[in-house]
Amino acid sequence: MTHHPAANHPAASPIFALIAEELGRIAADKGEVLPPLTADSRFLDGGLPIDSLDLATLLVVLEQRTGQDPFREGFRQFTTVGELVALYAVPA
Amino acid sequence: MTGRRPAWIHPAFRLIEGEERFGWPELAGLAVPAGGVVQADRPSRVLAALAAAEEAGRGLLLARGAADPDGWQQGQGFSVTLESSGTTGTPKRLCHDFDRLRGRLRGVAEEGARWLLTYDPGAFAGLQVVLTAAAAGASLIAVPPRASSGITGLAEAARRHAVTHVSGTPSFWRAFLMALGDAELPLRAVTLGGEAADQPLLDRLAERFPGARLRHIYASTEAGALFAVADGRAGFPAAWLEEAPDGLALRIADGVLEVRSPRAAPGIANAEGWLSTGDLVERQDGRVLFAGRLDGLVNVGGVKVSPEAVERRLLAVGGVADAAVSAVPSPITGHLLTATIVPAPGVDGEALRAALRAATADLPPAARPRALTFADHIPLSAAGKKSRKGAA
Repeated sequence: MTHHPAANHPAASPIFALIAEELGRIAADKGEVLPPLTADSRFLDGGLPIDSLDLATLLVVLEQRTGQDPFREGFRQFTTVGELVALYAVPA
Repeated sequence: MTGRRPAWIHPAFRLIEGEERFGWPELAGLAVPAGGVVQADRPSRVLAALAAAEEAGRGLLLARGAADPDGWQQGQGFSVTLESSGTTGTPKRLCHDFDRLRGRLRGVAEEGARWLLTYDPGAFAGLQVVLTAAAAGASLIAVPPRASSGITGLAEAARRHAVTHVSGTPSFWRAFLMALGDAELPLRAVTLGGEAADQPLLDRLAERFPGARLRHIYASTEAGALFAVADGRAGFPAAWLEEAPDGLALRIADGVLEVRSPRAAPGIANAEGWLSTGDLVERQDGRVLFAGRLDGLVNVGGVKVSPEAVERRLLAVGGVADAAVSAVPSPITGHLLTATIVPAPGVDGEALRAALRAATADLPPAARPRALTFADHIPLSAAGKKSRKGAA
């Protein structure tokens, strides 16, 4: 990547698209439908039909698909989709 | 160079290591490194070094991998130090008296036996196979490291040399069945050890090799080899809790198997002689079945789950050729179970996904494997076991 669109426009990032795709799949597996996702969508406040196990699953799948694990050195705080996107978009 | 043939090598013993063939004269001609440390990656080196150490009355370290042998002290008197495979950190070294090592063998000579070595020759299980074949005057077929890749090389050697005796881990056997295809093997003995043997695998082996004796061996790190089960069924008969074979006593305490063995090393059992195996067991329909390690339990979001128990469920699903369930660290739930599935040929992926989900639907959500991945094989650790990285 030559530029980092996620810093300013999380919804335009490929990571955002990946998160939307995988969250949609996780929700579908439970027979739920994912509402439209924005950078401000919050993961575990009830707005999205996912629980902590689903979120843990998402992080594992993101690691499998991107090869990145932003949590290797410890937990980093995030509550929204945009904040999670930023963890992956920052170059190593 | 070593002189006299040791009593524990039968004159008829032959070793076939890749393209090389060894009898005792060839083994005796091998150079043995000074200092009592040998890289135990080939059975020829291991046997030559054992014979030399015995003759010199010195200790021997069978080194595996890159661990630094500098901290090792060569003792006076013949002893053999083995290194654990070190899948979960630094290898542990355990010094054995050679006669005690050999004492566990049941040396029955069988004419024309050809053993396949599936274990590392420096591992406890591998050394048992090497010494068994040597004492029985059998042929031992080994694939040198890096000569051919893993399971493919072993299957090829098994076919080419028409092996009759194979001992390996359940993970080895599942991969071996796939690598072997439809090839005929004149197997007389099929032995499983090192991991709990599951019923679907035992059934497949019995069907694939109807002429072979099928046995799974139960051993514990602390108490050594304990018993062999030869009825083709997983676990062992619950009647053994009343009366166990070979002078053993078995009981279940808090879901964990405990043993009292006349052969246990001294000082490791409690005052009444009972020793915890650390293996979780369940009684079911007249059997005692293994359900993973006590310390193999992982905490997923506050729920303790057993990756091995979940793995056994997935292995029982039709269309699954092999499966591995691992606990991966999660910043959200501590751990999470993930599954790698090897589908049988021609199986529809979507239907299989649905069947796998159905097979774990009655488990608590934390115990269901997430992130199902399809693969063409399961990577094995050096010990031939599925690596459960992250489970530590």
